[in-house]
Amino acid sequence: MSVTDRPVPVPDASSAGYWEATARHELAIARCSACHGFTHPPDTVCIRCGSIEPRFTFEPVSGRGIVKSWTVVRQALLPGFEQDVPFLLVDVELSEQAGLRITGRLLDGVDTALKLGDKVQVDFEDIADGVACPAFRLATS
Amino acid sequence: MSEFAARNQVAIAGYAQSPVSRRSPMSLGALTIQTTREAIADAGLAVSDIDGFTTTPMFPSFGSHSAEDGVAFVTANWLAQHLGVIPRFMENPQGQLPAPVALAVNAIHAGAADYVVVHRALHNPVGRYHNSTEQEARGREQWGMPQGHFGPIAAIALAYNEYVQRYDVPENALASVVTEARKNGARLPWSYWADKPLSEEAYLAAPVINDPIRMFDCDIPVDAVATFVLTSAERARDLPHKPVYISSYTEMLPKRRLIPSLWPYDGIMEQGQQNVDQLCQRAGVSVEEIDYLQVYDGFAPLVYFWMELTGLCGPGEAHQMVSEGGIDSDRAGSPAVLASGGSLGNGRVHGTAQMLECYLQLSRRAGERQRDVNMAMACQGLPNSGGAVVYSSEKY
Repeated sequence: MSVTDRPVPVPDASSAGYWEATARHELAIARCSACHGFTHPPDTVCIRCGSIEPRFTFEPVSGRGIVKSWTVVRQALLPGFEQDVPFLLVDVELSEQAGLRITGRLLDGVDTALKLGDKVQVDFEDIADGVACPAFRLATS
Repeated sequence: MSEFAARNQVAIAGYAQSPVSRRSPMSLGALTIQTTREAIADAGLAVSDIDGFTTTPMFPSFGSHSAEDGVAFVTANWLAQHLGVIPRFMENPQGQLPAPVALAVNAIHAGAADYVVVHRALHNPVGRYHNSTEQEARGREQWGMPQGHFGPIAAIALAYNEYVQRYDVPENALASVVTEARKNGARLPWSYWADKPLSEEAYLAAPVINDPIRMFDCDIPVDAVATFVLTSAERARDLPHKPVYISSYTEMLPKRRLIPSLWPYDGIMEQGQQNVDQLCQRAGVSVEEIDYLQVYDGFAPLVYFWMELTGLCGPGEAHQMVSEGGIDSDRAGSPAVLASGGSLGNGRVHGTAQMLECYLQLSRRAGERQRDVNMAMACQGLPNSGGAVVYSSEKY
């Protein structure tokens, strides 16, 4: 278990299920119990169906997606990233639903050649004891 | 849909622009008072005539800075209090410059105030502007910070790279945007970049921040204030300067709540189009009838996005138009969309440059830059979360 000085997420009522899953290295996305659509991040209402009682549940997803965009982050504007820059940050649309976007570091390395639509698979970075955040790797299939 | 009743019923009667500097010798509050007194005098009025104040007090830093009224930002309330005025109307809307302009127009048209000061004060804090020292990612920030996704430069880099990849935009295309903005800004006496145009070589020599965004694609944080005085079209006719009428405004909201610092290109363009359509509908004109367009450029790619949304060229074509000199302010008849110098050519003035340039042109106070134009549009912010205002030299 690696430990970093990165900002650590503070789970709240809207996010506890998400961070419990990432700690187990599982990606679980908020799903509205009214329309069954995924939302990330979860809002106080469901922005898909308008339900004011979405009673989101965190459901495991495949972690597969495609690259919608990327950038190389060259400056550490946050604590704990001094050793990590430069790194590739990817903007990923998860395969479960159009427009379901999540970001993370691409762990294949900063020199990885990318193109729009490249397939990726979620991975996780352990950033503190019992805390992990999503990242991605190029999918092998 | 009912017609916009306040169309051309309210006018800008005067203005003042402070020097734009990295560190003002005055506090931001003092600079705002000075600039506002100048604007009121420019409009031929006395401070005691002013009965309304509005601004957007946003301090657009993601960094860990203390933010105090009168120091890091200046609210309408602070300004009224320190000018010794008890106003009839006072509002501090969120958002970009079109928000206080909209409130001022509607307040004046409704009779809630007669002479309204609209100001915008921007501050450059000590230390790195967007540097965070947070060890805990709370609220919205928990969705980006732990994985190193943070701040507006990463956001524009992701959006622009999507555009670059989709339309096969040449590397370093933005150099032609930035050199045009800096050329125009270099000619403005108040600009931080006065007499300091930027060569393509100097642009390319500056570091890449978040690929493909280089340092000079981002506006430089400054201390600066611009103030405008608005009143009814009828009252404005009795004041010294030619009135410039406000025909229409829009404000936009992103349709979907996303993680912070994620501005997908498609969302920018889809809602940007709604923004422009609503603006024209409210003004009662087509976008082709607007003959002077000033686009927002807090980040250089926004110039392309606004140009394409306002019909100057097709989707994915703005980079080519700019690189071929299509917005060159020295070329007769060109759409000189960065004539204001924008934020890249003035400093981080957050949309006041575009408003000022529209006002100066339509009031015939633009000096050597003066063009024969009658309907102007000032774009502010991102097309999907900022807004725009249409101005007219004549009531129609």
